[in-house]
Formats: sequence, C-alpha cells, structure tokens
Amino acid sequence: LRADPSRRALLAAAAAVPLAAAGCRGVGALAPPPRPAPDVAVLKAAIAGERQLIARYLDVAAGQHAAGLADVLDPLLAEHRQHLAQLRGRLIVPRGAASASSPAHPPAPSATASPASPAAALAALRRAEQQASAALLTGLSTVPPSLAQLLASISASEATHSAILRTAGGSR
Amino acid sequence: VAALQAALAAEHAAVYGYGVAGAHLHGRRRAAATADWVAHQQARDELSALLRSRAVQPVPAAVAYQLPEPVRSTRTAVALAVHLEDHVAAAYAGLVAVRDAAVRALGAGQLRASALRAAYWRGGSVAFPGLQEAQLR
Repeated sequence: LRADPSRRALLAAAAAVPLAAAGCRGVGALAPPPRPAPDVAVLKAAIAGERQLIARYLDVAAGQHAAGLADVLDPLLAEHRQHLAQLRGRLIVPRGAASASSPAHPPAPSATASPASPAAALAALRRAEQQASAALLTGLSTVPPSLAQLLASISASEATHSAILRTAGGSR
Repeated sequence: VAALQAALAAEHAAVYGYGVAGAHLHGRRRAAATADWVAHQQARDELSALLRSRAVQPVPAAVAYQLPEPVRSTRTAVALAVHLEDHVAAAYAGLVAVRDAAVRALGAGQLRASALRAAYWRGGSVAFPGLQEAQLR
C-alpha cells in the first residue's frame, strides 16, 4: 500500500479551485455552491455505504447474538474496514470542508429492531451486503479507470460476503 | 482490444485448468468444478464473439498450460481452482479499466462471478478480488 502523491494532489486541486476562485470575488460570489466532480460524488456515496455496513456489523457484534457469530462476521468486518480505508485514501477534501463532510464516527445505524435470532441477524446483513454491492456499480461508468476497478472489486467482495452469510445462515 | 484478448487468454487457461482440477475432485467438489468449467467455456465463447464482432481475431487456446504445481490430490486441485480464478479476476479488472461502458460492465459482472467461485474454493472472501497490491494504496 503506497501513496500516490500526484493523484492525491490532483483531486485536492480539483476540489479546492472553485473555493479559491469564489473567494476572490467576495461573499456574493459564494452563493452558488461549487459542484463537486462526478467521481467525488460517487466516492462519497461509496464511503457512506461502507460506513453504514460497518455500523450494521458493529450493531450485531454488540447485540445478544454476537458470541456465536463472531467467527463468521469478524473477517467480513475487517474487510469492510479495508474497503473504507482504500476509498477514503482516494478522497481529498479541501481544508475547512473536512469537518463538515467526514464525521469522525459513523452515523448512528438506522433504527432497526434488534434481530430475533442469529439467523435473522445474518439475513439482515446479507441483504445489506447485496444492496451495497449493487449500489457500488451504479456510478461505475462515470469514474476514472482506477476508481472503477476499486469500486468493482469492492462490489465483488461484498457479493462474496453475501454468499458467505447465506452459507453461515444455513439457507443454502 | 488488448484487455479483451487478455481476458480471453485467462478464460482459455481456466477451461484447461478446471479440466485438470475436476479429474482430481469428487462428489460436491466435482460438481462445482464442472459447473465452473462450463461457466468459463461460456465466458470464453462470449469474449470470442465480442472480439469477432469488432473484426478482431480472438487469441487461440494454447495446447497445454504450465500449472503452478502438479495436481495430484484434492488439496492441489482446489489450490489450482483458486489460482485460476485469481488470474481470471485480474484479467476482468483489466476490462473494468476500459472506458467503454459496456466493456466495463462486462468486466465488473465477470469479476463478481469469478470472486464468488474463488470464495467457494478458498472457503472465504478477500477484500479486493482482482486487484494487486500495487493497485491499492
């Protein structure tokens, strides 16, 4: 895993330019918010999706069925953390905007009822993985090649998670 | 076109390799190897047709392929299947890097299919199917 300073710098510059340009023209010029490049929007959606998945896994890990499921869920959660790290590594937010768009903690999980059984917990995670895997491909055609490869790879990884959760749930 | 040819070459190798692996597998594993062998034949035929539709001569299969290790047991047959899928997945990640939206979508779909087969043989998942360490940061 290595840094790619040229690409980071490029993304940072692309994001920062509209702000700098607007600053030169006074407060009035700030009114139309700068529109981020399409791949930044795709990347942010992917990051939000990973955060939600991680929150769901943590939810189950903190719940009453955690003990019996750890062997299955821990490796999958570890891979989601790798996904998130890779995605975040590609997003450079201009200074000052950072705090607004990247909260230190994942958002609170949606108010889902605590699953009634380990099988129900696995089924809920499986659905979440399927949805996340499909969502990652929706912006695929609009992004640069290397980001497209990362999104497709993470989508494929999450498809395998879904299969593993199905097997673990015994409904294969 | 080069990426399509690379994917086709990987599929040729997979068709050959699953034939070898399947001969050393039994029961459910034999059935899975047969299903995957058929899937790779279909993918091979689709890639060949796609190349021909672009007036390109598809790369032919080699007569034989060098295996990473001799296949003499269930363990080595399963290891070969994992190896083949990793190779195929990397080739389809190459298609995802193509700008053409249809080729990119084909690559993503086949990368997913390959990752699912690899997860079965491996008995687990990986975080970044088809990508090499150098493509991550």
